[in-house]
Amino acid sequence: MSKYIKTIVMAAVAVLAVAFPFYTGAYPQSIAQSVLTYMILAVSWDMLLRTGQISFGIAGFFGIGSYAAVLSMLYLNLPPMLTILIGGIIAGAIAGLLGIAVLRLRGMYFAIVTLAVAEIFRIIMTNLKGFTGGPEGELLPQLIFQGNPYLTYYLMFGMAVLTIIISEIFLRSRVHYALTAIRNDEIVARSSGVNIFKYLVIIFIVTSVIQGMTGGINAQTYGFVTPESSFSLDYTLLPLAMALLGGIYGTMGPVVGALLLGIVSEYLKLYIPYGHLVIYGIIVVIVILYMPQGIVGLAARIRKAGARNE
Amino acid sequence: MKTSKNLQLTIVGIAAAIGILLILWKPSVLIYGLQGAGLYAAVALPMALILGIVGIINLAHGEFMMLGAYLAYWFSTQFGIDPLLAMIPVLISMGIVGVITYKTTIHRVLGAPELNQLILTFGIAMVLSQVVNLIATSQPRKLSLDYVTASAKVGELSFGTYDFIFVAAAVLFLAGLLFFLRRTKLGKAAVAVGQNPKGARLVGINVDRTYLIIFSIALGLLGIIGTLFLTSHSIFPLVGGSYTMKSFCLVAMAGIGQLKPILWGSLALGVSESFIMSFQGYGGWADIVFFAIIVIVIISRAYKRTES
Amino acid sequence: MSKLVLQSLTKRFGGLVAVNGVDLEMTEGEILGIIGPNGAGKTTLINLISGIHVPTSGNVFFDGKDISTFPAHERSKMGIARTFQLIHPLENLTALQNVMIGFMFAQGMNQKDAGVAAQKTCESLKLEHVERDVGQLTILETKKMEIAKTLACGPKVLFLDEVMAGLNSDETKDLIETVKRIAQEHNLAIGVVEHVMGVIKMLTARVIVLDAGEIIAQGPYNEVSQKPEVIKAYLGGEA
Ligand SMILES: Nc1ncnc2c1ncn2[C@@H]1O[C@H](COP(=O)(O)OP(=O)(O)OP(=O)(O)O)[C@@H](O)[C@H]1O
Ligand SMILES: [Mg+2]
Repeated sequence: MSKYIKTIVMAAVAVLAVAFPFYTGAYPQSIAQSVLTYMILAVSWDMLLRTGQISFGIAGFFGIGSYAAVLSMLYLNLPPMLTILIGGIIAGAIAGLLGIAVLRLRGMYFAIVTLAVAEIFRIIMTNLKGFTGGPEGELLPQLIFQGNPYLTYYLMFGMAVLTIIISEIFLRSRVHYALTAIRNDEIVARSSGVNIFKYLVIIFIVTSVIQGMTGGINAQTYGFVTPESSFSLDYTLLPLAMALLGGIYGTMGPVVGALLLGIVSEYLKLYIPYGHLVIYGIIVVIVILYMPQGIVGLAARIRKAGARNE
Repeated sequence: MKTSKNLQLTIVGIAAAIGILLILWKPSVLIYGLQGAGLYAAVALPMALILGIVGIINLAHGEFMMLGAYLAYWFSTQFGIDPLLAMIPVLISMGIVGVITYKTTIHRVLGAPELNQLILTFGIAMVLSQVVNLIATSQPRKLSLDYVTASAKVGELSFGTYDFIFVAAAVLFLAGLLFFLRRTKLGKAAVAVGQNPKGARLVGINVDRTYLIIFSIALGLLGIIGTLFLTSHSIFPLVGGSYTMKSFCLVAMAGIGQLKPILWGSLALGVSESFIMSFQGYGGWADIVFFAIIVIVIISRAYKRTES
Repeated sequence: MSKLVLQSLTKRFGGLVAVNGVDLEMTEGEILGIIGPNGAGKTTLINLISGIHVPTSGNVFFDGKDISTFPAHERSKMGIARTFQLIHPLENLTALQNVMIGFMFAQGMNQKDAGVAAQKTCESLKLEHVERDVGQLTILETKKMEIAKTLACGPKVLFLDEVMAGLNSDETKDLIETVKRIAQEHNLAIGVVEHVMGVIKMLTARVIVLDAGEIIAQGPYNEVSQKPEVIKAYLGGEA
């Protein structure tokens, strides 16, 4: 029964998301695209979190992808779609190299190092003036799809669907068991034959590719990169807050969280243009203190309690 | 044991050699490096205190310093007092902020997984910087104080002397904290709590109150350093973020629970940073030194740990 | 041929020598008792064999192969399994899923086969309520699940680190029978760490006594327990 409902709801949401641009103006559409962007980042952050590793470096890989896409187009004249792929590949390659060293860290050490690495990327891009345009960044001569907003929306939508599918595959396959075991107790996981390092590296690369490609799409949509905007801490903070609010360790939580927070914050932006981010901070604090299982977790609990009362 | 003594001697030797070379070649690097090191050490010490005793890594650390700086700015512009005098009300206010923060948030996640602690303090950092942004806007603020421009001349070399105040602050903080932790009853209790909270509770120490006091003391110290920071730097809502990372780097280098090595770590970082800054046009890379060192130190420590 | 051979195995933690020059051989079908006072190094010995710790010096041979530096997951795949003194059931998973992990990762089964195999293993141990969350199991069920998890790895050598602790006498008897049956059915070499000497007496043909990381005596339990150095170690450990 509940499976039916779930499928119907999913289908309805998908239809709505596909039809959405035809019924609204440019402004809601650009908001929708930005919500999708954060949604992808939130889901990808959660995918790594399922191993127990907290990354504060989303913005780093997002920014790397953005720069790779723009620079490969400027210097190599590649087609835009290919540059997005390159954004993902470069982000993934860097994650792979970095992961070998960094994924031996745990807890606060891993978290801080990912934050520092993102800063290092930003500083490098700021200082390689001849290559990256320095603090001013680079501008693309033309936008992807000649700036057609429908197509950029669908591109981001496609990326979101892809991310959700990957996340669900991980949740339904043996990967899920490996990650849950690692998160619970690494020594037990190792003693049960789980090569934890292999799984950590794989997940780190996959999520970084996703983040890099998303950065690439974003850069191609708006046609520019700068160190401040492409590596903005927002790309780390907002997805994190969204995933927490929605509920961690699943696909549904980050998706719900991104929809909710994304839309609410757009509203808030109209009323408090500077400092609307304070709401994110407050949400993070309140969620951690009072409902660490998030909205989806809370809903599941209520449903369970209801079922018990029947 | 013995090898680590030898290693220490080697490191000290190398550092001394580098220092002498620098004095001969670029004396200003050493002076500015020392001043920078003082600031880093002074900011990092309270973080080490919280991590060592309360056992929480406070990702809002730099933001609390930023808050202290803004409070100092407010007191001194509002009442027309010298910011150094404002230090007293700032110290008190920050202590109160500490009590409130501890009671409403930190206290509740002490037993929670590290994930929750990290994200909570990350959220607090966001709230602090954004609230300040809302109230004071993102426009940088700076006080122009004449005593800050004090300078000295040694031979050919002239340099600002005011920033040595950070060195003094760092040394005083360290001496004060060591005295507090080793000689006072409360401090000794705090050390016991940091090492073994359950045991401390068994012998009748009020663990929760100790945490509260330590957290508030640390924030008070951040208030002092925030005030000093204001006197010679311009401040803006996001100014604290990088100090969180830099402090963490120093604490991780020193080892959890250690205070003294923070001084040496700061010195190394401050000097290498000012060394890069001394090359015209490459100053932008100076920040990378810090972050690269964070990454290298933490990773090499992790390897050492897994070897055993 | 001996399945598992330890050669002057040593582990230091800083200044502390937790395991000191241990030589040992274990053969298939044998149940070996490992006893000694608290802090004697029993758990550390198991950690060295299963790859949780890297030895400071000395070697571990398995099937004649030197595996001293192999990572834990490789050893698990080769057939070295162990339980943990402080048990850590994997939360957010059911008991069955806990057991499936070994089948999937140590034995390389796919998810479906692992489910079937785990079900069978649990049945053979008379472990019920496998669909329950691990938090809702009784102590005996939890212990059986821990043993099922090790069997899921397809062990040839198995170490049980104080699995009887916390059980009442009926439950202990139940588990002793279970362990005996496993040893026969799977033809394993089993190492049993226990503080309850009754259990050691009923289960094992041979025991080693560790004290301060060294083997101070070995042989049948009845002989070993009479030796003055063993009595002294235990008394000293208690004082
Ligand atoms: N990871 C570690 N780091 C440092 N010291 C350790 C570590 N693991 C064990 N030790 C020390 O090694 C010694 C042996 O410990 P071990 O756990 O092997 O003893 P045990 O025989 O299993 O004791 P028990 O009967 O209490 O379980 C102890 O002194 C212990 O404190
Ligand atoms: Mg033990």
